[in-house]
Amino acid sequence: MTANMAATIPGQSARKYDLGFARWVYENIEGGDKLSMCMQCGVCSGSCPLGTEMDYGPRKLFMMVRAGMKDAVLKANTMYNCTSCYSCVVRCPRGVPVQYILQDLGRAAARMGYQEAKTTDNARFAKAFIWSTRKFGRTDERLFTFKYYLSFGLGEAIKKAMANMSIAIKLVKTKRMHLGMPHRIKGTKDLNAILAKAAEIEKREQGI
Amino acid sequence: MGKKYTYYPGCSSESSGSHLDVSLRAVAPKLGIELEDLNDWNCCGASVAHVEAGALPASALSARNLANARAQGNQDVLTACAACYLKTHHTNEKIRDKPGFKEKINEALGAAGQSYDGDLHVRHACEVIVNDVGLDKIKEQVTNPLEGLKVAGYVGCQTVRPFAGTEGGGDYDTYEDPEFLDDFIRSTGAEAVEFDSKTACCGGAIALMSPDRTLGLIKKILDEAKEKEADCIATPCPLCQQNVEMYQAAVNKEYGTDFQIPVVFYSQLMAVAFGMDVNKDACLDRNFISADVIAQKARK
Ligand code: SF4
Ligand code: SF4
Repeated sequence: MTANMAATIPGQSARKYDLGFARWVYENIEGGDKLSMCMQCGVCSGSCPLGTEMDYGPRKLFMMVRAGMKDAVLKANTMYNCTSCYSCVVRCPRGVPVQYILQDLGRAAARMGYQEAKTTDNARFAKAFIWSTRKFGRTDERLFTFKYYLSFGLGEAIKKAMANMSIAIKLVKTKRMHLGMPHRIKGTKDLNAILAKAAEIEKREQGI
Repeated sequence: MGKKYTYYPGCSSESSGSHLDVSLRAVAPKLGIELEDLNDWNCCGASVAHVEAGALPASALSARNLANARAQGNQDVLTACAACYLKTHHTNEKIRDKPGFKEKINEALGAAGQSYDGDLHVRHACEVIVNDVGLDKIKEQVTNPLEGLKVAGYVGCQTVRPFAGTEGGGDYDTYEDPEFLDDFIRSTGAEAVEFDSKTACCGGAIALMSPDRTLGLIKKILDEAKEKEADCIATPCPLCQQNVEMYQAAVNKEYGTDFQIPVVFYSQLMAVAFGMDVNKDACLDRNFISADVIAQKARK
């Protein structure tokens, strides 16, 4: 805590301040154009169900964006402890779409190569999830979950799979997990063409 | 004959949330809802696609579904899944209202020769039941009222947040204290207990990726349900249902509790109260914490 506090006071730490960062966020992050409306009231941070897990609540993180603390913002775990409950979005008195901004900041951090962002459970989970979407057009809960476990290494994957075996058996017994081939759409080729094009457009616009 | 909706079941309908899909399809005709499945629907990306794929590709997932729905003709796209609703609704709204977005999304859709203008309405099954069906229609269908059954109505997050409004304009409920679920529960003859945790968060996808971070959130929901002596928890959200049921054993292990509270969908309550088959239609056999108490309480 004290380390974090010190980091917010210019001159007290070796952190870098990049004053162009706030502008970049305003212009490139989804919902970022509304960030300058934030009046630091703290309603968002008080609403986060996993606020205690966050390095900084959204209010503080937004203040750090404005202060140009690019590295500290993009290394923070705040974005990955957002449950997407949308309390902040409906409660913010200034209409700041907090969840959208956090989500896109998390993605930007991974895209910019921050290790902290790339190795979170969230990043591994999202990678496995999207793999299933691209391959089948749908989420195969069995395969993508195992793929997620595998991202921790084979030994760990087997351990995690065993630990969840009783749940899997119950799901199969209650017809909530099937044993056959994955469900897949007919248009996976179309879907992948659309996704690739969308990624290309985004890259063109954002430069990351 | 009812009104026709293009139905987007979503991925959970084929797996952990199959009991929502089956029970909703069972009660829909009785409520005057005619469901026509969306052609070749794909995953909505839920709350996780964005992190890996980016904002525009995540929206493109919904845009393909919307383009398929447009070709199908019905004006309303209905979904019962909170995440599918949120993502599809949000994308639809952006295509319709956000300057420049329609062009970008159509450039992406163009890669598969598709296009979409943003002129459909994306609607949640619960909102349709509130606004198009009405509570009276639910009550009319009840043959076996669930008398004496105490139900904790657990709405969760994304069913009402951030879209508690309809695409056609107008509201169906409020963000902070939604009433629709308690209304559904009462319409089946059951008692809706006062439940402050109704919009508490179950941990969402974080519960699936790192359950240790979210067991405490689930425990709070269970604590209140127990304190209010609820026989079961009812929810509209597939992820809420899954998390609160699936992790009860882990919560018990972690906190030394002995929760054994069934977690069902509102549509399962309706199917039982409508006198339909408790397994084939109400899917009570798809709950792994036994929900037989619902059938037992139903007046024969
Ligand atoms: S609720 Fe809105 S105005 Fe208040 S601190 Fe959060 S983002 Fe800023
Ligand atoms: S959506 Fe995320 S940032 Fe907003 S209140 Fe919920 S957890 Fe916090």
